[in-house]
Amino acid sequence: MVSNGYDLVVVGAGHAGCEAAAAAARMGAAVAVVTLDRRTIAQMPCNPAIGGIGKGHLVAELDALGGLQGWAADRAGIQFKMLNASRGPAVWGPRAQCDKARYTEIMARVLRGLRGLEIIEGEVVGLLTDDAGVMGVRLNDGRLLRARTTILTTGTFLGGVLHSGDESRPGGRHGERPSIGLGAELEGLGLELRRFKTGTPPRLKMSSLDVDQLEAQGGDETPRPFSWRTRKVTNRIECWVTRTPERIQGIIKDNLHRSPLFSGVIEGVGPRYCPSIEDKIVRFPQHREHTVFLEPEGLATESVYVNGLSTSLPADVQEAVVHAVPGLSRAVFLRHGYAVEYDMVAPGQVGKDLVCREVPGLALAGQVLGTSGYEEAAALGFLAGVNAVRAGRGEDPVIIGREEAYMGVLVDDLVLREHVEPYRMFTSRAEHRLLLGIDSARERLMAQGVRLGLVREEMFHVEHGRWEDRRRVRSALEETRLNPDRKTKETLREMAGIELKTPSSWAGLLRRQDVDVDRIAAAIPGLGELSGEDRRIVVGLLRYDGYLARHRREIDRVRRLRHVEISRSFDPSVVPGLSREVVEQLQRNRPATLAEAERLPGMTPAAIAILAGRLARGTEGA
Amino acid sequence: MDRGWRAALVELRDADGIPIDQAVALPYPAPRSYTGEDMLELMVHGSPWIVGATIDALIAAGGRQAEPGEFTRRAVANGKLDLVQAEAVNELTAAETAAQARMAQAQVSGSLSREFSGLKRALTDLLAGLEASLDFSHHEIPYDRRGTIAERERCLEQIRALLATATAGRRVREGVRVAIVGPANSGKSTLFNTLVGRERAIVSPHAGTTRDLVEAELEIAGVRVVLQDTAGLETSSDPVELEGIRRARGAAAEADAVIVMWPADRDGEPDVGEVEGQPMLRFRSKADLEPGGDGPAGWVALSCRTGRGMDELGRALEGVVSAEVVDLGGHVAIAERHRYALEGAKTELEMGDFEVPELAAEAVRTALESVRELFGEVATEEILDRVFSSFCIGK
Repeated sequence: MVSNGYDLVVVGAGHAGCEAAAAAARMGAAVAVVTLDRRTIAQMPCNPAIGGIGKGHLVAELDALGGLQGWAADRAGIQFKMLNASRGPAVWGPRAQCDKARYTEIMARVLRGLRGLEIIEGEVVGLLTDDAGVMGVRLNDGRLLRARTTILTTGTFLGGVLHSGDESRPGGRHGERPSIGLGAELEGLGLELRRFKTGTPPRLKMSSLDVDQLEAQGGDETPRPFSWRTRKVTNRIECWVTRTPERIQGIIKDNLHRSPLFSGVIEGVGPRYCPSIEDKIVRFPQHREHTVFLEPEGLATESVYVNGLSTSLPADVQEAVVHAVPGLSRAVFLRHGYAVEYDMVAPGQVGKDLVCREVPGLALAGQVLGTSGYEEAAALGFLAGVNAVRAGRGEDPVIIGREEAYMGVLVDDLVLREHVEPYRMFTSRAEHRLLLGIDSARERLMAQGVRLGLVREEMFHVEHGRWEDRRRVRSALEETRLNPDRKTKETLREMAGIELKTPSSWAGLLRRQDVDVDRIAAAIPGLGELSGEDRRIVVGLLRYDGYLARHRREIDRVRRLRHVEISRSFDPSVVPGLSREVVEQLQRNRPATLAEAERLPGMTPAAIAILAGRLARGTEGA
Repeated sequence: MDRGWRAALVELRDADGIPIDQAVALPYPAPRSYTGEDMLELMVHGSPWIVGATIDALIAAGGRQAEPGEFTRRAVANGKLDLVQAEAVNELTAAETAAQARMAQAQVSGSLSREFSGLKRALTDLLAGLEASLDFSHHEIPYDRRGTIAERERCLEQIRALLATATAGRRVREGVRVAIVGPANSGKSTLFNTLVGRERAIVSPHAGTTRDLVEAELEIAGVRVVLQDTAGLETSSDPVELEGIRRARGAAAEADAVIVMWPADRDGEPDVGEVEGQPMLRFRSKADLEPGGDGPAGWVALSCRTGRGMDELGRALEGVVSAEVVDLGGHVAIAERHRYALEGAKTELEMGDFEVPELAAEAVRTALESVRELFGEVATEEILDRVFSSFCIGK
């Protein structure tokens, strides 16, 4: 049985798959999404939150481009928090704790409602290939789905093995079968697979916790939504905090030989930034206690996620550890923690359009490409979906520069660098961090979202008005002069505790002083009319000024390079200073511009600089 | 042979099997060789024909001559030397004085590299702490403002200490400049020639009249000294002489020390022009014509003919040299490229806004990039090219 052709088949309906399928369908493509189980669409198998520092940046950018994750998190969110709120706008990290069931339900409803999108339950057991590459997939029931592009978003299911203490069994997630045959097919196509590992903590029963021994933690006073589509969000629950006592060190050390991590059973490489509790005890014995966050996983469930106690120790040891923690002595386990080992496709094998370079028609996104996290997965899925549609129309792929957005950093890092652990976004990965705050995400990317047809134009105008307002207030701050006469000095002292000694503009003053923006808002032209967030953005960015100017100069320089053309007769082998690998890449791929050259694997910024210098000097190398 | 470092007597033959020489072959198996690759040294008899024939035979067998600096470049590529050490290989082979050789040796042995790596490590740790407080603030890693500022101060101190060696480094590399000035016929040239004859000359006097500047390079107390003879400081209407006087004053102004000559039989003091801060060694010349004391306070009687005062002059010059090339207390003096990078790092750290952690991170990151440039870790290819293209010798 062969289906009529689709434009796109998406294998997997997790965070990457959902964004890929939804973006493509909304752009008018005919899309099939294959999932093992309809009930697990957009599941959150680990922590019950979307966003954070770095990750929240990705969500904000995805939202500006027209993606769904932020919008869904706003609707499923039960506690909203801006991390790093006391710092400058570049490092604000919005985070929403979500009702997991509701998140799944919302995303599934969106997918079901999209025209041109078909959800198919089944297991992909093979790929359809011909000389031109991959042309669809084969399901376990024999069905063949043909498509111009196939996007694999299989998460941890490729060759997945679950570990809990002495027990190991095949599985993709708790209670779900792994995908066995597909990995071998990929290897058959010449793709290199590697083994990664990740883990998840136990889930406890809310009513079994001694809340009076726990410290409550609420959301922000003024919760802020992720999406331009959302007007207002509300905090609905509290989370709880406790700390591990010193004696869990003994419990864990006595049982390390039963941990698959330490006994050698797990060979995959796990993320250093998300260590299991046994890892933490071994690597940081000097830390007497470790913080544990207890995060309810929804409004209608008793399940509580034990953030900070990720573990794959045997069940009895997990129980002993948890019961030793204040407030958890009677805790009932709904599920034990486990580790999962899985195959991923080494991401150096895809181009910046996320299509396998040697296997046309096959794109990858999410954990199977070596990332970790719902946000990284969603961002990649979105780009893969958009690019599949564009490729079908004969259009250039959307490739975002690392100076434009964290999404660009993500793709660039994955494709061009070597990875030894699952990739997670951090703000420190962005060279131009100060320019890439969530404050500017819409200004940077929303126009692109409109062009893709995924953002309504009138919403762009609303947002555009907002950043124009900020710009106007900023100019006013630069222009208003403050003279240190008696009245002005007194006013400033009373209002904001500022000692004005020499004449200054408001901007100059705010650049040098930490000032409570809301206290001075009324005195500054225009500032009082901005929202609290916009006020803090305007004032926060003033302080960045010198560095922002430097970053912009650097970005301009890089962008100019991109417009340099490379003639057909250019011979890279005579250019001194280029590595042999770079020369070979240039000879094989014959890029027409430096922008294209930059996308080749192994291309370093230094090599681009050398090429640019050579090309700028004229036709010497020709 | 594969155990290496065992010399063997071998017969060298060319491609046609005709013997060239009986030679000693010394293999250096990787990685225990200069470049870290397999290397073989051949010791042949010193005939130019044998050397030529051996090279021809090696080329005929598929070899080629090394490019300038190629062995050192390979040593860097294979991690046997870092860039800072490699730079000094060049200086070591070009060293002309004891001080230059000592400084280059210390740098080749890695003592400067260790100081730079210490700085790099300190900045990396500082940045890591800052980044952790930005990316993991929810894990209760607060911004340690005071600790960060204290650590920045420590890094700055280290940078300033390194920068303070730059002048000494320049003196050792380029020489301490000493100008002899005084009126016409005060015995300047006689003293110049006496000194050139007395001290070890690195470069003999350049041709030229005394209206111009005559220079000689000497080694005094192990340090290169550039001695300059100048035109007499007389009022004159001859444009050529006037130009000579202008140059003499210029040399005195730029010198690290000035020897002032004033004939013992004349009164008053000469007008040396604008000389500020440099040590002045004042001598009453031609003391054999006017026997007696040293004259006015601060002046020493000198006679090239009798040798009177020459020991005082020698001691005074050594004093100047050791004052200019300060005791670095085990430090190695940095070179111009290092100074440039360290100045960059210093400015970043000094100007950074450390009240705001993301701006502190920005400043430390940029400073770290400057320091990493020292090791050629940024824009590697370009820097390596720049460094290695200055190599003019084979190793």
